[in-house]
Amino acid sequence: MNELARIRVKICGITRPQDAIAAAQYGIDAIGLVFYDKSPRAVSIEQAKAIIQALPEFITTVGLFVNATTEFVHQVLTQIPLDRLQFHGEETPEYCISFNKPYIKALRMQPDVDVIAYAQRYATANAILLDSYVKNVQGGTGTTFDWQRVPTQCTQSIILAGGLTPENVAQAIQIAHPYAVDVSGGVEATKGIKDIDKIAAFMKGVSMSMTDLLPTKTLQLPDIKGHFGKFGGRFVSETLMQPLEELTLAYERYKDDAEFLAELNDDLHHYVGRPSPLYHAIRWSNLLGGAQIYLKREDLNHTGAHKINAALGQALLAKRMGKTRIIAETGAGQHGVATATVAARLGMSCVVYMGTTDIERQKINVYRMRLLGAEVRGVSSGSKTLKDALNEAMRDWVTQVDDTFYIIGTVAGPHPYPAMVRDFQAVIGREARQQMKTLSGKLPDILIACVGGGSNAIGLFSPFLNDKTVKMFGVEAAGDGLNTGRHAAPLNAGKVGVLHGNRTYLMTDDNGQIIETHSISAGLDYPGVGPEHAYLKDIGRVQYVAVTDQEALEAFHDLTRIEGIIPALESSHALAYCKKIAPTLAKNQTIIVNLSGRGDKDIHTVAKWEGIEI
Amino acid sequence: MNNRLISCFSQLRTSKRAALIPFITAGDPSLELTVSIMHTLVTAGADIIELGIPFSDPMADGPVIQRASERALLNGVSLRDVLAIVTDFRRDDQTTPIVLMGYLNPIEIMGYEAFAQSAQTAGVDGVLIVDLPPEEAVDLVNILKKHKLDPIFLLAPTSTTERIQQICHLASGYLYYVSLKGVTGSANLDINAVSKKMLEIRQYTDLPIGVGFGIKDAATVAQVAKISDAVIVGSALVQRIETIATEHLLTELGDFLHTLRIALD
Repeated sequence: MNELARIRVKICGITRPQDAIAAAQYGIDAIGLVFYDKSPRAVSIEQAKAIIQALPEFITTVGLFVNATTEFVHQVLTQIPLDRLQFHGEETPEYCISFNKPYIKALRMQPDVDVIAYAQRYATANAILLDSYVKNVQGGTGTTFDWQRVPTQCTQSIILAGGLTPENVAQAIQIAHPYAVDVSGGVEATKGIKDIDKIAAFMKGVSMSMTDLLPTKTLQLPDIKGHFGKFGGRFVSETLMQPLEELTLAYERYKDDAEFLAELNDDLHHYVGRPSPLYHAIRWSNLLGGAQIYLKREDLNHTGAHKINAALGQALLAKRMGKTRIIAETGAGQHGVATATVAARLGMSCVVYMGTTDIERQKINVYRMRLLGAEVRGVSSGSKTLKDALNEAMRDWVTQVDDTFYIIGTVAGPHPYPAMVRDFQAVIGREARQQMKTLSGKLPDILIACVGGGSNAIGLFSPFLNDKTVKMFGVEAAGDGLNTGRHAAPLNAGKVGVLHGNRTYLMTDDNGQIIETHSISAGLDYPGVGPEHAYLKDIGRVQYVAVTDQEALEAFHDLTRIEGIIPALESSHALAYCKKIAPTLAKNQTIIVNLSGRGDKDIHTVAKWEGIEI
Repeated sequence: MNNRLISCFSQLRTSKRAALIPFITAGDPSLELTVSIMHTLVTAGADIIELGIPFSDPMADGPVIQRASERALLNGVSLRDVLAIVTDFRRDDQTTPIVLMGYLNPIEIMGYEAFAQSAQTAGVDGVLIVDLPPEEAVDLVNILKKHKLDPIFLLAPTSTTERIQQICHLASGYLYYVSLKGVTGSANLDINAVSKKMLEIRQYTDLPIGVGFGIKDAATVAQVAKISDAVIVGSALVQRIETIATEHLLTELGDFLHTLRIALD
């Protein structure tokens, strides 16, 4: 669609002349009148006449029918000068066109529906209206569907409907790129009665969607209390609330401070080795035969993963706050190593908490941390893995909160951690955006990153969230398979709950106990996920998928053999999903995969899986 | 405010003494024994009982109560079982207030309304959720109050004046002052620091204020009772539940609590 084109707006379910007049004053293009007596917004012929008489010029009137008899539609048409008909039921194309009026066909977005095929079947329709599917409800469902499912190549105009509101319409338009939007319940005070203020707010949302200058809500999030929609927040005991507030204030103060940023950028460049390259994996792309694959080489950072970006940022902040002692939790050991590294660099004392199961699995990283001068404390409570290490680090922090800074390794935890860690990791996406424009002259079509807690993914995604054309996939660990229960995929198969200071999707049982997770990759073996990911899932901006241990291992071998790069098992999940979708795309399309870490640490795990003793 | 808690604290005020509040984890060492332990504690001098809801990730607890939670979970104890324990207890005791203490996730998964309703029916009087600060608590507090359950909140050495006011505004029943920066069962509290903070808190509320964390023995109980309205003892009891053989458990727990009660009187 032409970027300058204005998005058309139809307000449906008008029942009163004054609502039609108000809507017209705010610049809407069409009104919908419901001729379906089971709807709470149904109008009689008399009501409809009064509404149409009150309308100013150049507003299209649309009559909505659901499986009506031919006689009834004719009866309406002889009495009311409708411009368009809109059919919401199981009407056939032959029926729809039989009235010799331009018509719109509504399609409810059931999970397996093929929009293009449907549009071809109704080739005589002027437009296809896409509505949410709720069983046994015809229109007015008030729920949204995944806007990514709206096809970009459709011969007819697409009208987007289903749960649109003043709050979500800008986002919806940026993702779905429809010709028009259709709203009903989202601008109502009560059913059938429109609310002028909501109409005004809705139109503002529509116009906001058309300018790139205004950041979408996503980038303004979280709110002041740390909420991403209903997710995030601060769920900790009272003792930690004030220290978290102090941390938030310090972060707010330094995040735009020129001197702080200069120090951070200098260290990112000279110490970490940034910018990390964006590497065109030509051989792998050719072998898969589809899109061009680019790897964001976070594996080439000092310490071998993206973790150091946020560890460094937080450690520099700790120094400014006058803290002398650093603590961290670690699962695979990458965040622990990164933290121990920056602590050594800054001359601060460092304690790393690690589950005793992980200590056994990741002996080399444990020794690395000790070499760097950190004290590694084993945690033998609970499942003895990452989540328990996080619990223990919180307990340490609450005890020594005066002199201690807790460096969290992912975009989880209480506010401000999800936002702060995201901002420090966003350097990944900022670089990738610039590099991709230089290399290919355009933005990438698709981004892929693995999601445990989700810090590397949010780091890559965040600077692209406003780029409407860029699709994003977060890849969770399906372990033995989503249907086996042995996985670590809360976004795909979890419930909303509260853990580690924030509300998010979790692996929890029906009694609210946290379930032990499983993944071949220790870094993804976590029962929660960053709250911003939960939010991005719910608004449909990012699609979250999952791949199994086996699929990740295959991708691990592929990249190693084909490109000569040994990826971390975490990153291998992103690669495995890339392997699935690249062949389905055109050769001029581009994918960026975040290669979040290198695989040296995983060599023992891979060998063991394959029955090889080293 | 809940009736049992009101009459409990008003009687205490008349007799001019602080309440003794033991904490135990429900289902530790077993579901069957918990109700007997509760009755034993009441007989030995408990005024209110705090009953812990076991949780897989007790972030604010020290090792003693963590292990109690793990034992209870190994026994398969769920939030529903905890409510059943209260129902059981109420058959023989209609007066001793029961306060449930735990973490938010089990309640979130059960649903606020369903939880509050079942808790009221079971005979619960107050609810303290360790990881639910006032900022996030408004929805649940409204539902608890609708069901005549008191929302008990923590106050800490790090609470600012603003936070103290906010919490006093939202809380009812009593307030729970965390005596030190740390987890449950931590070492030694500083009685002077606690005393100073208590004076500050009292400027903003008439609610009774209990003190917990780090209270291990009769001597500390006696000290804390002088400056507070309630003394909460958790880890010291739970530690005994962990180590004492089942056949002596009730007797020895009763004896221990009794020594604390004497110190408090």
